[in-house]
Amino acid sequence: MSVYVQGILFLSCINLIAVLGLSLLTGFTGSFNFGQAGFLAIGAYAATLMTVKVHAPFAVALVTGMLASGLVSILLGYPTLRLKGDYFAIATLGFAEAVRLLIENLEKVTGGSRGIPSIPTKTSLGTLVPVTLAIVWVMRNYIASRHGRNCVAVREDETAAQAIAVNVFRYKQISFFVNGLLAGLSGGFMAHYVGFIQPSMFGIQKSTELIVMVIFGGMHSITGSVLSAVVLTSLPEVLRAAAAWRLVMYGAAVVFIMVVRPEGLLGSWELNIRSIKAMYRGASQFFRHLYLRAFHGTA
Amino acid sequence: MIWQEIINGISIGGVYALIAVGYSLVYSVLNFSNFAHGEVLMIGAYIGFYALTALRFPFWLAIALSIVLGGVVAITLEKIGYRPLRLRKAPTLYFMISAMGLSIFLQNFTLVTIGPNFRTYPEVFSFDPFEIGSLSIGSLDLIIFVTTAFCLGLLTWFIYKTKLGVAIQAAAYNMRVASLMGINPDLVVSIVFFMAGASAGIAGVMFGMKYTVYPWMGSLTIKAFIAAVVGGLGSLPGAVLGAFILGVTETFAAAFVSSAFRDLFSFALMIFIIILRPGGLMGVVVKEKA
Amino acid sequence: MELLSIQNLSKNFGGVKAVDAFNCSLPKGKIQAVIGPNGAGKTTIFNLITGIYSPSQGAIRFDGHDITGQAPHLIARRGIARTFQNIRLFPDFSVLENIQTAGHLRADYGVLAGFVPTPRRIRQEREIRDHAQSLLELVGLEDRAGELARNLPYGHQRRLEIARALALDPQLLLLDEPAAGMNPDETQKMVEFIHQIKEQFALTILLIEHHMEVVMELSDFITVIDFGKIIAAGTPDQVQADPLVIEAYLGVGA
Repeated sequence: MSVYVQGILFLSCINLIAVLGLSLLTGFTGSFNFGQAGFLAIGAYAATLMTVKVHAPFAVALVTGMLASGLVSILLGYPTLRLKGDYFAIATLGFAEAVRLLIENLEKVTGGSRGIPSIPTKTSLGTLVPVTLAIVWVMRNYIASRHGRNCVAVREDETAAQAIAVNVFRYKQISFFVNGLLAGLSGGFMAHYVGFIQPSMFGIQKSTELIVMVIFGGMHSITGSVLSAVVLTSLPEVLRAAAAWRLVMYGAAVVFIMVVRPEGLLGSWELNIRSIKAMYRGASQFFRHLYLRAFHGTA
Repeated sequence: MIWQEIINGISIGGVYALIAVGYSLVYSVLNFSNFAHGEVLMIGAYIGFYALTALRFPFWLAIALSIVLGGVVAITLEKIGYRPLRLRKAPTLYFMISAMGLSIFLQNFTLVTIGPNFRTYPEVFSFDPFEIGSLSIGSLDLIIFVTTAFCLGLLTWFIYKTKLGVAIQAAAYNMRVASLMGINPDLVVSIVFFMAGASAGIAGVMFGMKYTVYPWMGSLTIKAFIAAVVGGLGSLPGAVLGAFILGVTETFAAAFVSSAFRDLFSFALMIFIIILRPGGLMGVVVKEKA
Repeated sequence: MELLSIQNLSKNFGGVKAVDAFNCSLPKGKIQAVIGPNGAGKTTIFNLITGIYSPSQGAIRFDGHDITGQAPHLIARRGIARTFQNIRLFPDFSVLENIQTAGHLRADYGVLAGFVPTPRRIRQEREIRDHAQSLLELVGLEDRAGELARNLPYGHQRRLEIARALALDPQLLLLDEPAAGMNPDETQKMVEFIHQIKEQFALTILLIEHHMEVVMELSDFITVIDFGKIIAAGTPDQVQADPLVIEAYLGVGA
């Protein structure tokens, strides 16, 4: 496998982990998180400090990053999750900016705006890919479970959800926490792949990219998230020349999707046994039709 | 020098008030936060800038241009990004995402076409500062304050004293019933967006005059949101009150703590108010009809 | 003992007294109707019972427990289910999924089993699905199980909402205008349906309705509300004859 393709695989998996968390929180539970980069940053810096300062094993560092990010999400969730959608979105935006500001100003610990260089590049495809696949599997299970349905109920109609005994706050909290864990993990992996971290990597641009990935493939589909993480990670590399215009097109694409097909590319469609069977049936019917037409002049 | 800071705070508060009122207006009628509002401000600022420098228009014409074009841009954004969702009765989340998309598009389009450089407005007014005792009030601050006060007054008159304004109030209360009473919802929405855009345009010029013009000025909209929240989302007087409170307290935070923490402080203020008094200082907490 | 006991329930919104000293005492197995002009406060009473609003005054007791001001999801868990005046289905869910979602109380597998399936989860999911299926058959929607809820015709949506409420295995069912927008034929079917589910599931029912035939046929008791206050209460015959009611609501010559 060429280095180029490897790079895309690395970045796709790293992005996908964060996108899956965001998909759960924003896509399935309906809480618009505009500050995913803040959680990435916490995970990245916590994990990095563990490897660089404490020389902890990679796994321990990653888990630390996850837990740090998850813990912050719990703390942030208490004042913000009961708020209306727009308040929550702005609060997460403010949170991400606050994280970035704090990182820039705590120079002794975080290296300020120059960041932390020379991070050991411990992320390998051998760890990253299986972990990513495992997370996809786990998230698919969650969505298919009664908890996943409750999340969707919260998104569709909070009042009705409460009327069928769904603890709205609790489910939002769980989604927020899981998102925190996954974003923290993604940040940890990213730091140890790129080899350095700076606060500028965790700005609103990053949050936007991740939201676009969730929307593009389908807010209500894990398969869609996988697809868009891969496609939208490869695209910038392919379209390197037009880098400056990338965000312009993202913005236009977001509006276009919302206006024309808000469910995204795949909507709620998932790749599972049932849909594979359906595709198989559809395909064989199609070919049978062709065969009859070609050799018997009938359909 | 406390008074000097207060004057600075009131000055920026006036700009925030203009933005916040436009923001609150849209919120009260359509029940969503227009995250792209700030970009209209940015466009207004650039229009004013080019009108003054490249086209060498007189000041009043530059302002008029940014008002009108600000309103037009706002209406265009509404037609492209929100109207289709409105017609489909899409959930609020979709509006917010669409707004985010518009915002990103406009910001980056400006960035790519015009460039990231900060622009400064030419000095339009060169009067000496007013001296009151040991205080000096810059002529610019005074102009800004007078302009914003005038615009707010105009808006208030329009909303509360004209027939169209009453129609807008009715639509804000209940769009469906208002439409049954013969009020055209599309027209109301267009007018509201025009007013919001116009006030954002003027705020952009004011801000550009006092500070600078740059592609991501639109993030000021966050301040407007905070101001509207502090004052009470959906309440126009609340938005004004919240804006001045925000302007003054934030200036103090920047002056006496650190300017890096100015934004952090604003967010903290918002969270503080949300927790203590979710309806804002003057807000009406409207419970959804179950 | 009464299943539902409401004393002196009041709710103020700003300066408006939406509900004023409402009382109710509903024994098990009975049907009570709350009627009154639009805006009289009927749905507000439902919202107070189900915990969406907190009362300004008064107490609500259900099955011997004080549920005044409790969180809505806890009240639902206790056994009070409801439908809404403006149907609140989950539009992006299928017909079956709408009911399945409400069936979550029949399962208790935790969040961890949500991420990694256990045999218990698989078993419980099957139970939920079977239960939801049987409720679909009850309302005659079994061949539309896979359709999106928002694509259903209005009458079917109402029935689906009731089926979803039943999935909670409730003791008390609050029906908010179940026959709204129905023609006489559909209305009659709805009345029969409500009789049927009451018997089959041993329900106690509190009903808001404007269709007088429905109210008269179904109710054991009626309470009449106007401007948030009770203006009459009693059996259907008693209420029908009450002059205050005739004046305020039923119209002269009814």
